[in-house]
Amino acid sequence: MHLDPFELHRPSTVEETMALARRYSGSFDYLAGGTDLLPNYKMHLNLRPHLIALEDVQELRGHSVDRVGAMTRLGDLERDAAFLRAYPAIAEALREVATPLVRATGTVGGNLFLETRCFFFNQSYFWRQSLGFCLKAEGDRCHVVPQKEKCYATFSGDLAPALMVLDAEAEIHGPDGARRVPVTDLYDARGDGIQRTHLAPGELLVAVHFPTAARARRSAYLKLRVRPSFDFPELGVAASAIFDGETPTELAVAAGGLETYPRRFDDLTQSLVGSPLTDERILDVATRIRGAVRPVHNTFLAPDYRKKMAGVFVRRALTRVREGTAA
Amino acid sequence: MSDPRILRLRLNGQPLEVSVPPERILLDLLREELNLTGTKRGCDLGTCGCCTVLIDGRPTLSCLTLAHLVAGREITTIEGVTPATGLNPVQKAFVELGATQCGFCTPGFVMTAGALLREHPHPTRQQIADAVSGNLCRCTGYSKILDAITAASRGP
Ligand SMILES: Cc1cc2nc3c(=O)[nH]c(=O)nc-3n(C[C@H](O)[C@H](O)[C@H](O)COP(=O)(O)OP(=O)(O)OC[C@H]3O[C@@H](n4cnc5c(N)ncnc54)[C@H](O)[C@@H]3O)c2cc1C
Ligand code: SF4
Ligand code: FES
Ligand code: FES
Repeated sequence: MHLDPFELHRPSTVEETMALARRYSGSFDYLAGGTDLLPNYKMHLNLRPHLIALEDVQELRGHSVDRVGAMTRLGDLERDAAFLRAYPAIAEALREVATPLVRATGTVGGNLFLETRCFFFNQSYFWRQSLGFCLKAEGDRCHVVPQKEKCYATFSGDLAPALMVLDAEAEIHGPDGARRVPVTDLYDARGDGIQRTHLAPGELLVAVHFPTAARARRSAYLKLRVRPSFDFPELGVAASAIFDGETPTELAVAAGGLETYPRRFDDLTQSLVGSPLTDERILDVATRIRGAVRPVHNTFLAPDYRKKMAGVFVRRALTRVREGTAA
Repeated sequence: MSDPRILRLRLNGQPLEVSVPPERILLDLLREELNLTGTKRGCDLGTCGCCTVLIDGRPTLSCLTLAHLVAGREITTIEGVTPATGLNPVQKAFVELGATQCGFCTPGFVMTAGALLREHPHPTRQQIADAVSGNLCRCTGYSKILDAITAASRGP
């Protein structure tokens, strides 16, 4: 499949990137590893005339236990033993992203901002034209939840939930300067499902930062997918906690692969902090999270099943965090 | 087509200079312009591994790589790891142990396996299975592929 023509830009600093972002405002995409963007371009999904390649941007490189540059290849992070030891949930999530071949190219930044997925969207132009286009590309209606206002495509990145439960922060640069946002607050739960993040036009992820306390957390990530390789998450649950004896002093659960955005369930998990983490308490919170999530029928597995499994995975992830056992 | 630009890289050990438009995908450059058709186009979307080439020694999907983004790098295709006469040890093991049937996936597996054996000369079966988990084969059922890579790691 040949791609439609575009101009390719290769800035080497964040400043040059911002200048390009201003000049081509509204008519470009950032290109990191391209493992998400290029398949979509091949299917003629929302093409832009300019691609700004982040490959050479110095500030986006490098990884350590404290900071991971946005252009860090997943396959390189996977070989950083100190990093994997520090954050078991990320280690487990990384191993399950796509395949080693995709991870050789795919980056951390691209993983946080990958396009949401839906089986009416991830199709060829011909296929989509035959059915009638949808809200997310060229059309004006949704085939999954029939209405014309909101897209329900599924957020299918594996790293976001793991980063959320570790209190990771995103370093964002935009045409108007730099800011830091918790990864948990990057995603827009109230939007139309098409503008899905709180990034303003032109804003760029430079790096992800970890607070020192993140290393004190025990953590785990569990992924539901059809084949043990290749497949996107049909559900991904991350959990973390810091214990004083049997009592968590900090605890977090987050999930992706279920809705338009990944989210952390602080309102539902608060009751677990400050008293011993018993099976009954875990089950209670797992049941409430299952009740709160709203998957729709736009991925391979049925939404009812994914919802049930969300409860099961929350229970398993918290139990693993409590026992301190790795996968 | 947008304006072609000069692209310089090393391909199978030789310097290469070609004029390529910005949107050209590496796989298309290899197969359609350089006639290196050993690298196969399966899905063209990252879901089969047939198009695997080495970029600076690392197995990479050429169907998801823009040609211009590998400027200055060393690209190795299946042609580049096949001796002028005969086959390399991984290829030989594939033939001898029946790890190739229709053969369409074989170049991809050979590239991935070669890179694995350079990084881990004596991999466990699990390490092999993990390493090739991005390469699909619709014929062999994988056992013989794992056998062949194991055999290649043990030497003749
Ligand atoms: C066969 C296959 C299977 C896959 N399976 C999985 C899976 O199981 N789990 C999973 O999580 N992903 C999966 N992916 C998707 C993808 O490979 C990964 O999410 C990868 O990490 C994306 O990174 P990238 O650098 O290739 O992103 P790109 O394609 O380069 O970019 C993706 C999006 O993010 C934006 N972006 C990239 N970097 C930045 C930045 N620094 N700041 C702002 N925006 C940015 C781009 O503009 C683009 O919109 C799969 C892909 C394929 C082809
Ligand atoms: S959820 Fe609806 S609008 Fe969104 S991609 Fe699917 S069909 Fe299109
Ligand atoms: S052709 Fe590249 S992965 Fe299938
Ligand atoms: S030998 Fe036919 S696909 Fe593998």
